[in-house]
Amino acid sequence: MGQMSTEDLPAPRSLAEALRARDDASLAALLRRRPDLITPVPTDLTQLATRAGTRASVVRALERLDRFALQTAEALAVAGDPASYDELLGLMAGDAADEAVVAALPAAVAALREQALVWGADDRLRLVRTARELLAPSPQHPSPTGLGPSVQEATAGMSPGRIQEIVSAAGLPSTHDSVSAVAALTALFTDRKKMKRLLGQAPADSLDVLDRLVWGPPYGQVTPDPAPRLRWLLDRGLLLPTAPGTVVLPREVALHLRAGRAHRTPEPVPPAVEPAVVHRPQVVDGTAAGQAYTALATVEELLKEWDEGGPAVLRAGGLSVRDLKRTAVALDVSEPVAAFWVELAYAAGLLASDGEADERYAATPAYDEWRERPAAERWARLAEAWLVATRTSGLVGGRDAKERTLSTLGPGLDRSAAPEVRHRVLTLLAALPEGGAPDAEAVLARLRWERPLRGAQSEDDLRTRLARWTLTEAELLGVTGRGALSAHGRALLGVAVARRTAEEPKGPGDKLPVHHRPSAPPEHLSPPEQAVATAAAARLLTPLLPEPLDHVLLQADLTAVAPGPLHRPLADMLGVLADVESKGGATVYRFTPASVRRALDAGRSASDLHAFLAAHSRTPVPQPLAYLIDDVARRHGHLRVGAASAYVRCDDETLLNEILADKRAAALRLRRLAPTVVAAQADPATLLDGLRAMGFAPAAESAEGDVLISRAHAHRTPPRTAPEPVPEGPPVPDATLLAAAIRAIRAGDLASTTPRKPTDATQLAPGELPRTSSAETLATMQAAVLTGEALWIGYVNAEGTASQRVIAPVRVEGGFVTAYDHTADEVRTYPLHRITGVAELADD
Amino acid sequence: MRKGCAYVNGPLIVQSDKTLLLEVDHERADDCRRAIAPFAELERAPEHIHTYRVTPLGLWNARAAGHDAEQVVDALVEHSRYPVPHALLVDIAETMDRYGRLTLSKHPAHGLVLTTTDRPVLEEILRSKRIAPLVGARIDPDTVVVHPSERGQIKQTLLKLGWPAEDLAGYVDGEAHPIELAEDGWALRPYQKQAVENFWHGGSGVVVLPCGAGKTLVGAGSMAQAKSTTLILVTNTVSARQWKHELVRRTSLTEDEIGEYSGTRKEIRPVTIATYQVLTTKRKGVYPHLELFDSRDWGLIVYDEVHLLPAPVFKFTADLQARRRLGLTATLVREDGRESDVFSLIGPKRFDAPWKEIEAQGYIAPADCVEVRVNLTDSERLAYATAEAEEKYRYCATTDTKRKVTEAIVRRFAGQQILVIGQYIDQLDELGEHLNAPVIKGETSNTQREKLFDAFREGEISVLVVSKVANFSIDLPEATVAIQVSGTFGSRQEEAQRLGRVLRPKADGHQAHFYSVVARDTIDQDFAAHRQRFLAEQGYAYRIMDADELLAES
Repeated sequence: MGQMSTEDLPAPRSLAEALRARDDASLAALLRRRPDLITPVPTDLTQLATRAGTRASVVRALERLDRFALQTAEALAVAGDPASYDELLGLMAGDAADEAVVAALPAAVAALREQALVWGADDRLRLVRTARELLAPSPQHPSPTGLGPSVQEATAGMSPGRIQEIVSAAGLPSTHDSVSAVAALTALFTDRKKMKRLLGQAPADSLDVLDRLVWGPPYGQVTPDPAPRLRWLLDRGLLLPTAPGTVVLPREVALHLRAGRAHRTPEPVPPAVEPAVVHRPQVVDGTAAGQAYTALATVEELLKEWDEGGPAVLRAGGLSVRDLKRTAVALDVSEPVAAFWVELAYAAGLLASDGEADERYAATPAYDEWRERPAAERWARLAEAWLVATRTSGLVGGRDAKERTLSTLGPGLDRSAAPEVRHRVLTLLAALPEGGAPDAEAVLARLRWERPLRGAQSEDDLRTRLARWTLTEAELLGVTGRGALSAHGRALLGVAVARRTAEEPKGPGDKLPVHHRPSAPPEHLSPPEQAVATAAAARLLTPLLPEPLDHVLLQADLTAVAPGPLHRPLADMLGVLADVESKGGATVYRFTPASVRRALDAGRSASDLHAFLAAHSRTPVPQPLAYLIDDVARRHGHLRVGAASAYVRCDDETLLNEILADKRAAALRLRRLAPTVVAAQADPATLLDGLRAMGFAPAAESAEGDVLISRAHAHRTPPRTAPEPVPEGPPVPDATLLAAAIRAIRAGDLASTTPRKPTDATQLAPGELPRTSSAETLATMQAAVLTGEALWIGYVNAEGTASQRVIAPVRVEGGFVTAYDHTADEVRTYPLHRITGVAELADD
Repeated sequence: MRKGCAYVNGPLIVQSDKTLLLEVDHERADDCRRAIAPFAELERAPEHIHTYRVTPLGLWNARAAGHDAEQVVDALVEHSRYPVPHALLVDIAETMDRYGRLTLSKHPAHGLVLTTTDRPVLEEILRSKRIAPLVGARIDPDTVVVHPSERGQIKQTLLKLGWPAEDLAGYVDGEAHPIELAEDGWALRPYQKQAVENFWHGGSGVVVLPCGAGKTLVGAGSMAQAKSTTLILVTNTVSARQWKHELVRRTSLTEDEIGEYSGTRKEIRPVTIATYQVLTTKRKGVYPHLELFDSRDWGLIVYDEVHLLPAPVFKFTADLQARRRLGLTATLVREDGRESDVFSLIGPKRFDAPWKEIEAQGYIAPADCVEVRVNLTDSERLAYATAEAEEKYRYCATTDTKRKVTEAIVRRFAGQQILVIGQYIDQLDELGEHLNAPVIKGETSNTQREKLFDAFREGEISVLVVSKVANFSIDLPEATVAIQVSGTFGSRQEEAQRLGRVLRPKADGHQAHFYSVVARDTIDQDFAAHRQRFLAEQGYAYRIMDADELLAES
């Protein structure tokens, strides 16, 4: 029982007092559960109590409750304040007093008390006010219990007259006092027998209405003129109006209909995680060890792949999708799995960006150290890194809040819940008998029960996803085998596991030996404890990993099969001498001329290779393989390639001997390639000068072998075109335009100095535009082009502004006239239709 | 997995690429081989480690033969030296689970129907564009009518879609015709019997046996089982005659009961032997001889050298799914990579035996394979270097030096029956002249060929020069030495066929020799390496010898 002994102490009147009454151990338990309360450390218990009542802290505490504790808190929120334990029990267990609930409730209350969400003795249980506000039903925020407000709350704003009506309709003696009327109504609704009688009179369709509302939501819509079945309920207060058009089922009525239960399905017992399949523990350990070995091989392969220039770091950080694809192909795994390996190597510190200007990912020096460790220790390091990592490769490929793609090794992959979920999932596995593999859904259901608020009910909430990833990743890493936790996986969690020595009985139809449930792993391991656990795991794993071999089987089809992992020097050498054809438990190598040449290039001689194969082959070296090596070696280096800057050739070998013997030639770095050819590292000009200085008379040779005429040759550019002139101003007008311009200038001059010839029609007033018919305008223009005369025109531009201009038309076509505009001093084009009229300039 | 499994020291290693490595010298290797044979294809069988491959097709064939995923997983776990990756086991189970969701069967009212036990699968495949033209009306949500003529097509397409159909529609018995094996003084060898049984039990399928291991008798045995009219498809006329000869000798059939349907003769009798060539002759856009398939109610169709099955025959075969089909071959390696078409249209592999195993039982002659590397002379090297790319192979394959080496080998085995095999007629003519031996090539008439073969068989001629026309199905029992001077580029299957020429058991039990003369440092050498790969993987390792060494010896 979680009741506190309260006999000696006066009942606490506040949470602070309740806390004050708790002993140190109990306070420590509270602070362990709610570490946010001591950051910073409160000055006194009053402050602690205040802080424990803040909304943020309470929300956090509620999120950490398991489903039953949360249901208990929800029930308290709809119970009286304070409520007695019995009232709470009634709400939780119902009238039928569900035994499981009865058994589990004290622990739940104790847990709530421990976390300072509930205080007070059993007769006066109080839910912290903030928690009550969070959990109690309100129209805006329906309670998960599906209960509505109590009669008292629902009738708060109701007219006394209406209440009286209800009371009498319900068959209660009328009182004039609203308060006692409400109390009487409440008493009626909570009295099971009377209620039963009352509801016994209800029309069947009214009961249907209640049925619909009983498990919530308790609110319903009514029309201003409700149907008789609703009317019947409304009259008796079984439905109470809350707002115009809305009615609610009062809490007391709902509870009566629910037989007292606040929850439709109280879940006092966590969903069991039972083994779906039980494998023999040896099979599990063996499979996990095999996978552990694969994990090591994969990480090594990954980093070997990146040995010579890994993929570039994206500007935003991380690996590009293309690089991830490429890596996945190279590792022969799917992209999410490749992302997991990359992230794992990163988490274990084996891989990082090199920080160069052209930033790339590469193995760290720690990787080289890691490679030298025994296999089990290498695995332990990966497993430990995985266990505590907050980075989650499962998120790769998804999008963050800003709709940016999350990339491998990139930012935004940290999820602080990851280590806790991982630990929790593995702990659940550890609780199963050895070799037991659970159904993944059962594990997920259990996690949802443990943190109902954190893991929303939806399929893809973070905790559920994390748990799913944990299960796959544990399998990939070899922590589990066939879905069951391996012995080394158990040790990794800090469970003491004895090394399995005795052979399990085997034979057809053998029953699985009864495995006792192993002890539960500790909840949290400090880093030193984790190190001890990791080392223990490595010790357990060691005998399960295949022993490295020192031999291979050579076959006449030019393959070598390593029937297991090889010692590193052997593997390295074979990797050079042959191409890997298939990997797995064994490695198949194929010898090709190219691979043998690679080994020769790496500085091995044919006899080295023969000796190497003979030493490491269990079987005689097949003749075709020996022949292949000799054949490639025969041709290897037959052609030689080197770099030289210049050469000296001379048909007289003695002369070349003389040059080579001369000390002054040392600076030219000469080397004799053939009796008549000497190569030099010095460039041709230096060589010529050097030889001349030594008293020889060399001649330069072209690439074609002709003697170059020694003449100081002028330096020339490649063919170039001369620069185009960049003219300033407009191009020079052609003669016609020029002539027109000159005429126009003259004409303009005239226009300004001579009076205009009066036209025969009307005399134009000064400033008035000339007006002619369009045919006349055209004719005059064309005539002017021929005669080269300047004309005086009226012109209306696109904005409608009229002006007078003196122009010398050059061309008339397509409705436009091109002319030298004397007024603007340039060639312009005018649309004929904009020309209002035209007049000849007065003759001189 | 629920059985006791000794991880330590199993003979099998499971690789991540789904190949299985079997250590043959292991004490439990035989058990293991038997356990994995139903679902894994033997890919390579060199001396120490045999490689098997697990493919979806193989797994489905195992399902068709009545094995379930549990058995397969158990076989792997039981014999594996190292723990088998869980993912692989899951994958195997899932793959095998895909088989049998769809079944082809005979409906009393609607004829051939496709039914499913898993409706979404049927929905999925019916949405496929390739399936749509092959099916008819939907009878009920789980059943759809299939045009009877599309039985092969739909099976092939479903296989490609990853939902193989179980074919329960059965076979027609065909027109009965009495055929008995005449086992007077000889009997079917145990493996031949096994092959016939496996085939008959499986309904249709392919039997893979090395050349010289008596595939014809497997055919004869199957006919004796079927006791019905039989259509035998062979590669060429000579081969057709040999089949006829063999059938007359080994069965109760008489000459009159066996017809030949070839370019020259068009006889249709209870047992008819037709050549692929005549079937695929196209006149005015149609295949006039296709009606042969319908000319009788055949109870059994035998495809000889099934790896050479020409593409058009595939198409016809798709229409013959209701008849029993037997494919015979020495190797399933097809240079065109259409092995899976053979499987889906003729049937899965029903029987195969590693060459070396049959050799060990004494049914095929042990062979000494030697590759002789010939150095080109300096002038030949220069000429080779400057030759056009398409002429290069011809040039190095027909170099003069080869002729000298060939002559040296012939001299060395003087008195034994020697075959010289080559690709280029000029080279062969020249060799024939130098060796004073008759040449058989494409233009040699069938009568002439048979005359020469008979003479060779009788020992009247000891050296015969043959072009690739003699690659297949000629029966030269006493050839003990084969010298290959040139070939069809890198054809592995041709190499296997040619080696087969000398593998037929010798009367005096002595060793066969197979020489391959190759020009060093040329593409001839590269092609040779490629050609030999199949045989090396069958355990026939080549010794490599320098021509100078050989010339010095002789």
